[in-house]
Amino acid sequence: MALKGRHWVAIWLVAFLAAAGAIIARQTAGYRMARALADNRVTRANLEGQRVELERRLRAAKSRDVLMPIARRLGLRQPSDSEIVLLPAPPDDRR
Amino acid sequence: MARLELRLRVLQGAALVVLTLLVGRAAQVQLLQGRRWAAEAQAQRTERIILPARRGALLTRDATAIAVTQETYHVGVAPNELRHRAGDAVRIARTLRVSERDVADRLRRRYAYFRGPFSAVTVEPLRRLRGVHLEPVPHRFYPAPSFARAVVGRVDTDGLGASGLEKVLDSLLAGRAGSAVVVKDRAGREYTSPARVIAEPVPGHDVTLTLDGELQEIAQRALDDAIQRLDAEGGDVVMLDPRTGEVLALASDQRNGRGRPSAVTEVFEPGSTAKIFAAAALLVHERVRSTERVSGEEGRYAIAGRGPIEDEHPLPSLSLADAIRVSSNIAMVKFGARLAPPEHYTMLRDFGFGAPTGIEFPAESPGRLRPPREWSGVSAASLAMGYEFAVTPLQLAAAYAALANDGVLLRPTLIREIRDPDGVLVYRHRPEPVRRVVPARVALRLREMLEGAVSGGTGSEAALSTFRLAAKTGTSRRVVDGRYAPGAYTASFAALFPADDPQLVLVVKLDNPRRGSYFAAQTAAPATRAMLEQALAARAVALDRARLSGTAVSLEDFVERADAGVMPYVVPWPYVPDSAQPGPRRAVPNVSGRTLREAILTLHRRGFRVNLKGWGVADYTWPAAGDSARAGSTVTLFAKPRP
Repeated sequence: MALKGRHWVAIWLVAFLAAAGAIIARQTAGYRMARALADNRVTRANLEGQRVELERRLRAAKSRDVLMPIARRLGLRQPSDSEIVLLPAPPDDRR
Repeated sequence: MARLELRLRVLQGAALVVLTLLVGRAAQVQLLQGRRWAAEAQAQRTERIILPARRGALLTRDATAIAVTQETYHVGVAPNELRHRAGDAVRIARTLRVSERDVADRLRRRYAYFRGPFSAVTVEPLRRLRGVHLEPVPHRFYPAPSFARAVVGRVDTDGLGASGLEKVLDSLLAGRAGSAVVVKDRAGREYTSPARVIAEPVPGHDVTLTLDGELQEIAQRALDDAIQRLDAEGGDVVMLDPRTGEVLALASDQRNGRGRPSAVTEVFEPGSTAKIFAAAALLVHERVRSTERVSGEEGRYAIAGRGPIEDEHPLPSLSLADAIRVSSNIAMVKFGARLAPPEHYTMLRDFGFGAPTGIEFPAESPGRLRPPREWSGVSAASLAMGYEFAVTPLQLAAAYAALANDGVLLRPTLIREIRDPDGVLVYRHRPEPVRRVVPARVALRLREMLEGAVSGGTGSEAALSTFRLAAKTGTSRRVVDGRYAPGAYTASFAALFPADDPQLVLVVKLDNPRRGSYFAAQTAAPATRAMLEQALAARAVALDRARLSGTAVSLEDFVERADAGVMPYVVPWPYVPDSAQPGPRRAVPNVSGRTLREAILTLHRRGFRVNLKGWGVADYTWPAAGDSARAGSTVTLFAKPRP
């Protein structure tokens, strides 16, 4: 059966709608991904910020400026070199 | 009728003219000016933005961050977009920790801007608030701001390296900025879209420095303490690994708080710490025999063209080793006179004086060393005592490292490795020999002389009881406004630790100590000892403890001679008599059969020092278990191999 003019119009219309739908779907998906990416970037920046802040606090807490006065209050002191005994590592065949 | 037709024709003509004009204008706009108008429309709808690249991190050798770049924000507020202006103003003020009044004042303007920068954590509560616009901006962050500040340097307001290593390594750290196009709405708000990125930013390389976090902190703290305690104007500490040339710690401090990197950029006359280099020239050119002695001149010796030379500790006669041990100016001048000026000059030059070391640092000073043609009649004598030439503390450390390294001078470095943004290693430091300065046998002889200076000479205040140290003191007069200032001195101390297999070269310099003694023996030497004790007690410093305990060589020997008896691992030297600090007598506990760790801990808890011999498990002690010994005395713990 030969297609008539209105059939061709319908086919072209469907094709146009399908292409337009695909483009819209693609752009919507792209937009969603962009939003998700932006959210992830924000989350990463937040976590990075937290990590750096925690690292700063950790460094400050571990520093000798903080630890030494606490150690002194607890009655601890720096050992002299004669009080430090380095234990030799065992030979390989005895590990 | 004819009139109507005429009117129609006129109308037709007018319409044609209008149409022609419209078409012409359209052609002009579309064809001739099309690109311009298209660009203008694009500019109104979109904006090209720069995507800043993440600046690479600076890390210590144990991967602790020294400088990192994090995303921070400037905060903009459009008051007309706020839903609840009063409530939002309070929220903004509390979040940004700005006074509510200040925020209220700013919100009266058309657009309020809070520069900050504020961290991502801080601005999080504002992220969903309508009317608040966050402008991301990379911010260079230093988790421990005082850590090696002078060496690390800082970035400028544009985020580019302005000083120190940030400047030297800028091209590596900076990365390459990207660009993107953002779509704007009518209000000018930007919408990002991944499809519009033109070029992704390329992050910078991460650079791992040679600095050791623990040693750097030890050096900085010891230097600060020494400057405060001795009321010194400033000072420097350099710690170097002689096997690799890696700088493990580099601390500089001044009382005025300027924090100049003076260990690399400022020079001083080294005084007696440089006598060892004159001794090197004498040994290399065989101008002195080990048995040869010169008169001590009762501590006062006059030479033409110069004031009398004096010794602090005069001896009747001195060998070259004695001259180093007691730091005799007179003996060094007498021995030094045997060197031809080019020989002495070449030796100093070969040790790296008078030329930059080549370390990766801006404005490194080359020091000052004049060629023989510029010498005066007393220059040879002055050079033998460490005057008439000037060095940086880093140059001095590198030269001593050559002695530790069997006579080979290495280029010092601050960079251990470089990794690209994907973590791929692109550079790793390998030791870079500059030249062989002295033969290995001469280096060994010089180290023995330096060891003598600690065990029975001017450096005895730095002596450790368990490890041998080779070192030299130096107390030199300071030049102020071109003249030697009365009563102003620089105290310096250069040490190799441990003496027989050096792992650490340590140079301490104190500028003009004014409280108590100004001599290096009483100022810089005790500071060195304190640093070494702290380094030994620290958990994770860059010291090879296996080598320190003598394991590497001795264990094989021990296994081979297992039946022959015991093998000493830690030998106290120089010997410190137990009676030095008599304490109450206590019973020695029985530790037989325990692990070495438990046994040593038990003995330490009872107040004894421990000298360990052998390896395996605890066997017996001397004094024996149950015998009494003074608290603080040394108990020798003998170990036997595990059954």
